[in-house]
Amino acid sequence: MSVALQCPRSSPSISELPLEERRGSYAMWCVIATESALFASFFAAYFYLGNNKARWQVDHPPKLLIALVLLAILVSSSFVLEWGKRRVVERRYAAARFLLAVTIFMGLVFLVLQAYEYIDHWKTLTPFSDSYGSIFYAITSFHAAHVIVGLLMLAYVLVLPRYAPARETPFRPYETVALYWHFVDVVWILVVLVLYVIPNMIAHG
Amino acid sequence: MSDVASIESRLTELWETPKTLRGWFATVDHKELGIRYLVTAFAFLLVGGLEALLMRIQLSRPDQAFLSPEVYDQVFTMHGVTMIFWYASPILTGFAVYLVPLMIGARDMAYPRLNAFTYWSFLISGIFLYVAPLIGQAPHAGWFAYFPYTGTRYSPSRGMDFYALSLIFLTISTTGAAINSIVTILRLRAPGMAISKMPLFLYSTLTISFLILFALPALTAACVFLELDRQWGTHFFKIANGGDPMLWQQLFWFFGHPWVYVIFLPATGMVSLIVPVFSRRPIVGYPYIAIATILTGLVGFSVWLHHMFTVGMSDMAMSFFSAGSMTISIFTAVQVFAWIATIWMGRPVLTSAMYFAVGSIALLVVGGLSGVFTGIIPVDWQVHNTYYIVAHIHYVLIGANVFPVFAGFYYWLPKMTGRKLDEALGKCSFWIMFIGFNVGFFPMHILGLIGMPRRIYTYQSGLGLENMNVIVTVGAFVLGIGILISILNLLWSLRNGPLAGKNPWNSDGLEWETESPPKPYATVHIPTVISRHPLWDDYEEESDPANDRILDEQRLTLVTSWLDAEPTSIATIPKDTLVPLILAIVLFFFFFALVFQWLMGALLSFLITVLLTYYWLWPKPAEATQ
Repeated sequence: MSVALQCPRSSPSISELPLEERRGSYAMWCVIATESALFASFFAAYFYLGNNKARWQVDHPPKLLIALVLLAILVSSSFVLEWGKRRVVERRYAAARFLLAVTIFMGLVFLVLQAYEYIDHWKTLTPFSDSYGSIFYAITSFHAAHVIVGLLMLAYVLVLPRYAPARETPFRPYETVALYWHFVDVVWILVVLVLYVIPNMIAHG
Repeated sequence: MSDVASIESRLTELWETPKTLRGWFATVDHKELGIRYLVTAFAFLLVGGLEALLMRIQLSRPDQAFLSPEVYDQVFTMHGVTMIFWYASPILTGFAVYLVPLMIGARDMAYPRLNAFTYWSFLISGIFLYVAPLIGQAPHAGWFAYFPYTGTRYSPSRGMDFYALSLIFLTISTTGAAINSIVTILRLRAPGMAISKMPLFLYSTLTISFLILFALPALTAACVFLELDRQWGTHFFKIANGGDPMLWQQLFWFFGHPWVYVIFLPATGMVSLIVPVFSRRPIVGYPYIAIATILTGLVGFSVWLHHMFTVGMSDMAMSFFSAGSMTISIFTAVQVFAWIATIWMGRPVLTSAMYFAVGSIALLVVGGLSGVFTGIIPVDWQVHNTYYIVAHIHYVLIGANVFPVFAGFYYWLPKMTGRKLDEALGKCSFWIMFIGFNVGFFPMHILGLIGMPRRIYTYQSGLGLENMNVIVTVGAFVLGIGILISILNLLWSLRNGPLAGKNPWNSDGLEWETESPPKPYATVHIPTVISRHPLWDDYEEESDPANDRILDEQRLTLVTSWLDAEPTSIATIPKDTLVPLILAIVLFFFFFALVFQWLMGALLSFLITVLLTYYWLWPKPAEATQ
């Protein structure tokens, strides 16, 4: 047994190790994993309810245009936020903060536009009309709730006194929150695909 | 020497929670919280056990009127929900919260404040659940609450709302605890404790933490749909408007079956630690057990339909899920044979802990075999919703959860309290529990086969069910007496038990390197590890000539890489805080407002939650100066 060789040796001595600053993103990845499973359950419910039903979204597919505009807004907001994250790495905090504010603004526009879309939808479909209405509004409003939570997180980072990846705020809040925002973004891509694009494709041959 | 003393006093000052009222509520010490988890979950076991005894009194003779049908429904529902959700999983979380940092040589969990929050929200969600019977509106649809019966038509009281919302509340706690375990196990292990050298308990805890992340959301979704259907007029489950009551069953069991492994795997992990120690040899087949544990978790996601064989579905689907269920038994058998081989090749020392561990293996085999039977579709059709299923679930859950938990108590309580329990009383408790359990639950197999359905509040005389029901009731009370003896043993040992010392069982795990009970900072030097059995090899874990691994500038612990456990950075550990407790209380009001559809109250609580979370995460001045 070459016990001596197995002895743990750390090249930098322990006292020179940096402070840990990734715990925020570890937790966020776990949150994203479990939230993905939540949305997977919602989508599973959508397909399950739609299976073998005489009337389903194919008859009246939801209008595609606004959903696509919403998609464009949300995806580009993710890019803006990612741009801001790069500024943090370069320690250009004012620029980072400005881009964060732009992201928040785009998120708010998303919510307003979605509210407008809801008003339009409500004329033909409500959560109380049938199971399709129930699951349609459940998925989209749950996503909207995630957008709101994402905005609350972004707002928190916006007002943080300093969000450099330095020892002062050891958990890199900007990066962590950006992860969540990208996740909300990806979910909306799936929502558009499953609830809007595919039904429209089926309906129009 | 004075130098060591000054280091120790400095570490103590850093890590100790002041013994004040505020300190008691504000502590983030994993040892304190772990014990609270254990005590609280055990209290839920006793409450659930009392409910079981009420049912057994009612069923002891035919045509009894001890409990009315309505009350009986509420009692069996509360029994199931309490045991499955508020006892079986949290008690294992309690062991994990207490033991995992000690086993890996860390000074606390990765997220100590989250740890406090998950404990408080576990406790308060349990209180929330028990508000329902106190206001006379307990849930009454069984622990898996199938739909038409849980709709407002058949369940007009608020009971099912309490059920659904308390489960969502508990989900928050459970998910938080799972995240905490994952990051702690993957990143805070002592230098050298590569993933191939972790104690097996960490494998099972890690596996179930991932199961929780991916399985629990299905329950959340199901409960959200149920609440929307019940209170806000949607149509997820109502068949008249295109909904589907089967959706509830699919979502519930997609969560429900992995959950069986959540409350089973960590217990087997504990057996995998206890059996080798008392066989005086390393465990046989360490990698096979580790892999079997992970595979049980993975395949556990493809068996859920076997709870629904009688609802009608395609033969293909049923065959697939039947085969999946059988596959699990292979992985379980790997573990069982590894334990038997360990005992066989070792020199067993028959302590109380070993008694409980071996007893659990025996019961698990019986429960596992009846599980194989029920996995076979025709047999399942025959025994579905009979006492056979009740016998099966109790053999698995008591055999593979309660008995390992008692083994864990006899094994680790000396570490927690500093005093050993009485061995004679322990063995006496074991035999009474073991006999009581088998007398109580084995006849249920036969009762089920001759056709006694589960969840009936009484039965007529002359059906041939009387004698065995009396035996079952007697067995249940004997089991209760056995548990009581162990409780008395614990209370006695707190004052009079022999002092345990650091390592009373001559065990191999790092947790035995600490004092009993451990100092608030665990060990002066963060240990390093070179083998699977740190205390059985010749390597000195705390050897640290340069005093590098004391880390006494503030609350600090070492972070290592997840595979090889090479040191990568140093983690700060936050101070004691009251925010987690307040947050859990606010969530109580949030869910309470939702039960009574008081939207303003819910909105207000949500806003307070947001502000509290901001305050929680806000960088504190003390951290900023470092």
